[in-house]
Amino acid sequence: MKYLMFVAAILGCLRLSAQEEPPEWKNPSKSSLAYAEYRRKLTVPPYGLAKVKALIDKIPYKEDDSSPMENKDYLPLSLREKFTYHMIHAEISAQNCDVRPPIQDEDKKIFGQMADGMEESVWSDRQSKFLISNRDSVMALIKESVNRSKRMGANYKMAIVEINGREMIPFIIETYNKDQKDRDLLTLLMLLMKNNEYNPFMVSQSYRKLYGDNADYQSYIDYNKGNEDLIIKRATDYYNTIRK
Amino acid sequence: MSGFLTYCLQRFTPVLLLLAGVNAVNGQSQHFVHIPAGDYTLGKKGYINNPLRTVHTNGFDIAATELTNAEFEKFVQATGYVTDAERNKSGQVFTPGLREFRWLQDSTACWRYPNGISRGGIENKMNHPVATISYRDAIAYCEWAGVRLPTLDEWEIASRAGASTTYFWGNDMPPLSTYANIWHGRDHLQADSSDGYMYTAPVASFKPNPWGLYDIYGNVFEYCEGHLPTDKAGSRLVHARGGSWWCSKNACGFFNSVDIGSVKRGASFSNLGFRVVKK
Repeated sequence: MKYLMFVAAILGCLRLSAQEEPPEWKNPSKSSLAYAEYRRKLTVPPYGLAKVKALIDKIPYKEDDSSPMENKDYLPLSLREKFTYHMIHAEISAQNCDVRPPIQDEDKKIFGQMADGMEESVWSDRQSKFLISNRDSVMALIKESVNRSKRMGANYKMAIVEINGREMIPFIIETYNKDQKDRDLLTLLMLLMKNNEYNPFMVSQSYRKLYGDNADYQSYIDYNKGNEDLIIKRATDYYNTIRK
Repeated sequence: MSGFLTYCLQRFTPVLLLLAGVNAVNGQSQHFVHIPAGDYTLGKKGYINNPLRTVHTNGFDIAATELTNAEFEKFVQATGYVTDAERNKSGQVFTPGLREFRWLQDSTACWRYPNGISRGGIENKMNHPVATISYRDAIAYCEWAGVRLPTLDEWEIASRAGASTTYFWGNDMPPLSTYANIWHGRDHLQADSSDGYMYTAPVASFKPNPWGLYDIYGNVFEYCEGHLPTDKAGSRLVHARGGSWWCSKNACGFFNSVDIGSVKRGASFSNLGFRVVKK
């Protein structure tokens, strides 16, 4: 009996040791790294681009590395030029842990959170306020720009979340279906459903996995046809409830 | 007899270490832990910014606690130093209700008012870690005090206390609340003081790691020296480790011995501080 207890104890220890082993990590594949770069790309709006870039270059370097354009340059900009400025230049520093380390198999996942194209910077209060207070124009400019460039950069997707642009759901689906390459567009649909507390999504398994109690900023569901179709169907259903 | 000695050592060493830490804080002087020379296993397999490797150190002495407001005040009183947040009015603060990773720029925030004047000063928090300071401010303190920041590798050696796992106790997160002041809420929309502190805690409020270092995870992120493989050429980014009171398992999770954060060198967040190493 004592012998059996001893063996059981040893096996228990071995099992504990096995549980403590971290999951195997491998270097991201080339396709994963390429997709990582793709999903972090910004779309550069064309509106007054040369003028805005010249003004950004003029911004005096500050030791705190935050770099807001001075009011005398910012205020006279047209709405379209301000849009360009905000899309290519975030004014304040991002937190130390905002930028995530490289992820493996990034191209095979649909994440709960979108890639952050701004990396070490975030929109300041005045930038967020501009986007929200001009949301109709912002949505129109994003549509116009995306139709021209055929893609929706990380900055545009972040702006849609910022302004709660749920009216854009059909356009987001249409953009996704052009090449079905940018899975962050599916993430964007889910964020809009989550932020607006769309009940059928809130009680779903996907929601629990991506935004539930044990989810973190790298939580994901597998990229496959079933998940893709389900997200698009749910988002369409949600859109149909808000347009009534 | 040797059994009795072993029992005493096991039973009372943590208490003695704890007392040493508390005395150091009350005495407003730094208590240092000697890290012996040797080869140490750092990083994690396949982790691009912190690959699994062996490094050698000739040994160093690292502060048992994060630098406190009291110690930083001595520096300011002696030199008249003005921090980046004070000069540029660019401190970044937190208040419950903000979305994940969102901070507020508050022109009144600085090390004396880490989350802005409206959220209170440090009068009764002199034994808390100094925060809302930039990397540049940390370096200025170090030059005055004749100490330095730990390198990324030194910080990791000290934090691991000989372990090769994600945390110094293993790979599972649960014991964290014993050792670290972190955020336990699901998000940051509601205040979380479930471990006794919403913002910083007095240094050495939680249990130390086996080598006697307090708050190596949580409380404030700690600035370190060094660069990451993914830093772009000429990057002015700096790095801090260990997670902070703001960090939760859902939104950051950097309270471990593997992850390394990146931040602009002039940024002054109320969850960024430092601990020092003897020169």
